[in-house]
Amino acid sequence: NGAAFSKVRGSQSGRDSTRWHVVRKFLGLISSHNIPVYLIDPLVLGLVDKDIEQIRSSPDGPSPECKYFCTPRDFTTFALLDKTWKHEVSLFRNAEKMGFQWLKIINKDPRLDGMDDLSGMEIPLHYIFKLASHAIHLVVFYERSGNFLWHGPLRLKHHMDRKFVPFRKLHFGRYPGAYEKPELLLVSIDDLKVQIPKNPSSFLEEMSHSRFLECRYREARAFFQLYPDDASLDAVEFRKKAKSLLHLSALTLNNLGVKFWLSSGTCLGWYRQCNVIPHSKDVDLGIFIRDYKADIIPAFQKAGLPLKHKFGKVEDSLELSFQGEGDVKLDIFFFYEEDDHIWNGGTQAKSGKKFKYLFPKFTLCWTEFVELKVHVPCETLQYVEANYGPEWKVPVKMWDWKSSPSNVQDNGVWPIDEWDNVIQIY
Amino acid sequence: MEEWKPNPAVKPHKKRSWYLAWKYKLMNQRALRKLCQTGAVLFLLVTVIVNIKLILDTRRAAYEEEEESAQDYDDEMLNVEVPRHPVNNKKVLDVEVYSSRSKVYVAVDGTTVLEDEAREQGRGIHVIVLNQATGHVMAKRVFDTYSPHEDEAMVLFLNMVARGRILIFTIKDEGSFHLKETAKNVLKSLGSQVAPFLSWRDMWTFVGKKGGEVYGEKHAKSPALSTWGDPVLLKTEVHLTSVEDAECHWPDTELNRRRRRFCSKVEGYGSVCSCKDPTPIEFNPDPLKDNKVFDVPVAVIAGNRPNYLYRMLRSLLSAQGVNPQMITVFIDGYYEEPMDVVELFGLSGIQHTPISIKNARVSQHYKASLTATFNLFPDAKFAVVLEEDLDISVDFFSFLSQSIHLLEEDESLYCISAWNDQGYEHTAEDPSLLYRVETMPGLGWVLRKSLYKDELEPKWPTPEKLWDWDMWMRMPEQRKGRECIIPDISRSYHFGIVGLNMNGYFHEAYFKKHKFNTVPNVQLKNVESLRKDNYETEIHRLLGEAEVLDHSKNPCEDSFVPDTEGRVYVMFIRMEQEADFTTWTQLAKCLHIWDLDVRGNHKGLWRLFRKKNHFLVVGVPASPYSSKKPSAVTPIYLEPPAKEEGAVAVPAVAAAEQT
Repeated sequence: NGAAFSKVRGSQSGRDSTRWHVVRKFLGLISSHNIPVYLIDPLVLGLVDKDIEQIRSSPDGPSPECKYFCTPRDFTTFALLDKTWKHEVSLFRNAEKMGFQWLKIINKDPRLDGMDDLSGMEIPLHYIFKLASHAIHLVVFYERSGNFLWHGPLRLKHHMDRKFVPFRKLHFGRYPGAYEKPELLLVSIDDLKVQIPKNPSSFLEEMSHSRFLECRYREARAFFQLYPDDASLDAVEFRKKAKSLLHLSALTLNNLGVKFWLSSGTCLGWYRQCNVIPHSKDVDLGIFIRDYKADIIPAFQKAGLPLKHKFGKVEDSLELSFQGEGDVKLDIFFFYEEDDHIWNGGTQAKSGKKFKYLFPKFTLCWTEFVELKVHVPCETLQYVEANYGPEWKVPVKMWDWKSSPSNVQDNGVWPIDEWDNVIQIY
Repeated sequence: MEEWKPNPAVKPHKKRSWYLAWKYKLMNQRALRKLCQTGAVLFLLVTVIVNIKLILDTRRAAYEEEEESAQDYDDEMLNVEVPRHPVNNKKVLDVEVYSSRSKVYVAVDGTTVLEDEAREQGRGIHVIVLNQATGHVMAKRVFDTYSPHEDEAMVLFLNMVARGRILIFTIKDEGSFHLKETAKNVLKSLGSQVAPFLSWRDMWTFVGKKGGEVYGEKHAKSPALSTWGDPVLLKTEVHLTSVEDAECHWPDTELNRRRRRFCSKVEGYGSVCSCKDPTPIEFNPDPLKDNKVFDVPVAVIAGNRPNYLYRMLRSLLSAQGVNPQMITVFIDGYYEEPMDVVELFGLSGIQHTPISIKNARVSQHYKASLTATFNLFPDAKFAVVLEEDLDISVDFFSFLSQSIHLLEEDESLYCISAWNDQGYEHTAEDPSLLYRVETMPGLGWVLRKSLYKDELEPKWPTPEKLWDWDMWMRMPEQRKGRECIIPDISRSYHFGIVGLNMNGYFHEAYFKKHKFNTVPNVQLKNVESLRKDNYETEIHRLLGEAEVLDHSKNPCEDSFVPDTEGRVYVMFIRMEQEADFTTWTQLAKCLHIWDLDVRGNHKGLWRLFRKKNHFLVVGVPASPYSSKKPSAVTPIYLEPPAKEEGAVAVPAVAAAEQT
């Protein structure tokens, strides 16, 4: 079947069939070593997605034409789960026998980076197999704490051949990325059996904002050198509660499909010390007001977190607080986007005074925090500095949310007749 | 650290000997000694400062490199060509060997590869093995042949060294007192003319090729019993051979490539490097059916005892159901040889910069290893924790596979351990039997991730606490009344003699006679009865069926237990309250089981075997099982020894913990 097909392809323009042949050879190589890879190439998956119903319904059917793997491009990208293979050297020897040139990009293992003074072996992050004018980019994914997959950045070392392939055109590797563990589907496209993400369009959507930020472990260690960590029983207990509150909140919001990020003190804790700040006493999350859903309050209540107070309204300065276990409070701030900045609001219950906290615009990145995959602002430093000023590196135990932040502005007073609505305390 | 490369740029041969001649001449003159000391202190200071600066510079360089690499990958970067080291054509090594009462050293091409002038240490014969093609140091050993049996260890070692290697010997202080005929003959067969006549406090140096030529030998006789021979300094040249001649011609496979790498670097691992018939380094034991622990990570905690690690990993990789991909070896310190062993077996290893000292160092190493294990295997609910001085039973994983669900489901459990503190040759009998105990034995155990992440990790003792990790884990604040599951017959065997808190006597007394299961695929009996409530039912059933022993007899005597087999007996001892172990400790002592602290108890009950009968000991009235005591029976009371003796035992307890 494949041989006949390749003849048909051979009659087409030579360039087109080269890609198909290289992919076929590569799939042959890795299947002979029992290495399970799956297709994550955005160009090919984009095309596949258009015909996904048909492809799903005829997993074995022969293709009349080479619609996917022959499309013009420099690379075809596949993913490999690290734990599913044994790093056999023979794979590369066989690849060479088949005419492939290959390049391995290794680097430090980020899962050990957070640890004091451990030096593990470097781990492979990317492989590139080149044959003729086409190349296969194999991205290695690792499981991380927080039940997600991670791939590393692609950085060339000094001695590497910068012209091995046009690296700039690679779809993966500019930044590290975080992904959910995908469900896979075995399909036949262009007469090649290949595994793809079960839902290509949601994979492509996930890919478009998969950028991952590693915690700044080295700086966190330096911080703890200056300010030794609080190891008191109270601190241990608070961290434990904060962690479980964060896990519960993430579960609740993820189930609702509401995107959130670490904000205020929780964000500072991640950025400065890669941990919960033990004297912070609450957990702070941010949500864009456009992602607000009325279900949020009942969902938290159902999860066992009663509403403690609700300030503001959807149109202005909304803020929710829920009561977690043992005095730990969950604060959710809603963020309003303007042309050149983003802000959230605050309300003083007894006076009805309004406050406004201004931030420069930011995008969201993934990170790993207390065994959880969560969002943080990618431009974390600007975010933290806006909130805590240039002295954010120095721990402050006395914090007044109305006057301490660098970015606080008075924002008038709620009209008395609205108080019942915009100041709700339970 | 032991890595040494011949450096043709340095030619210190003459300089060094001039310096030494000067130095040792000075040494004999008291007036100048002070000057020397001052000089040494100054030199030391300068060295320290230079080193600190070097460290700072390196750190900065590393930091900068990282910053740079954080740029986009397609950024043009300077193409710095790393200069290649010039190929070394040198065929001759200069070797200097010094032997004296208080100091030995060996220098190869001007680089000191051994220097020992510590007081009260390093007595005996120092042996260094060099690769005959590269000049690399492959092994460094010292055999205290002033003491008994060390010469046997030396013979064993020398026999393991491959033919053609270069051997360097030097004596520090005294090396002849227990150097027996056999050892002397082995040295003679290596070409030494002096060895057969070595005597009390002689100084001696020797360089030769195993199975080949002699490069030099020097000897200074001790003139009298009370004095030492004069220091000797041997200077000689060694001709290097080609790399091909120094290696075996094993078939070119992935395994043999690992073997070749290993065998060209280190010596003293016996047949693993044999050219003719190398021992396998891959074991492929039978897989386990329905293996519940196949995906459980295994953390091997190691220090710098590479021979132990080698033995340990062999047994681990031979255990049925082992999954090598889940094994990580954590090495405390930047030691090369343990890492070589790890790579020989194709496993992954992680080195850990030592933090703190002694027991606290071990404790910090444990914490880092456990955290790293759960980071590397984020899906894991458990981790198996092993140490480098353990043999692992062939059914280790089978034992865990059958019992691990208990740790998952029974909240009252703290751990599963492969080790029974009281399971000696004469007190353990049934490989299918499990116990619940209130103590945590360690020595091969399973840790629940939630216990580590939620409870232990956040409050792990900090480096300045200088605590033993296992003592800390046994404290009530941590254990919170939870228990461990252990087998009657241990699934691990503690073979380490050299250790932080270990010595030969201690090992002989408390570990050597430990029973170790060698039967494969043991089907564990009645695992469900180990659950919290079920276990009480089981104990009551046992006590109900048990025959009460004659309490008028001496429980230390063999005749205390009838000459039967397969029966269940019970005895009652005095135990005033929960923490009263006076009688138990005396009983443990006379039964020759662990008596340094209390182990293996469950609610004032101990279970062991005597003469192949199940033997239960109940502490009355503290134990809730005291109600089973017939009213006519008076609990046995054993007098503790006089106070002085008791006091001696205290440091021993502390010493026993970190094993």
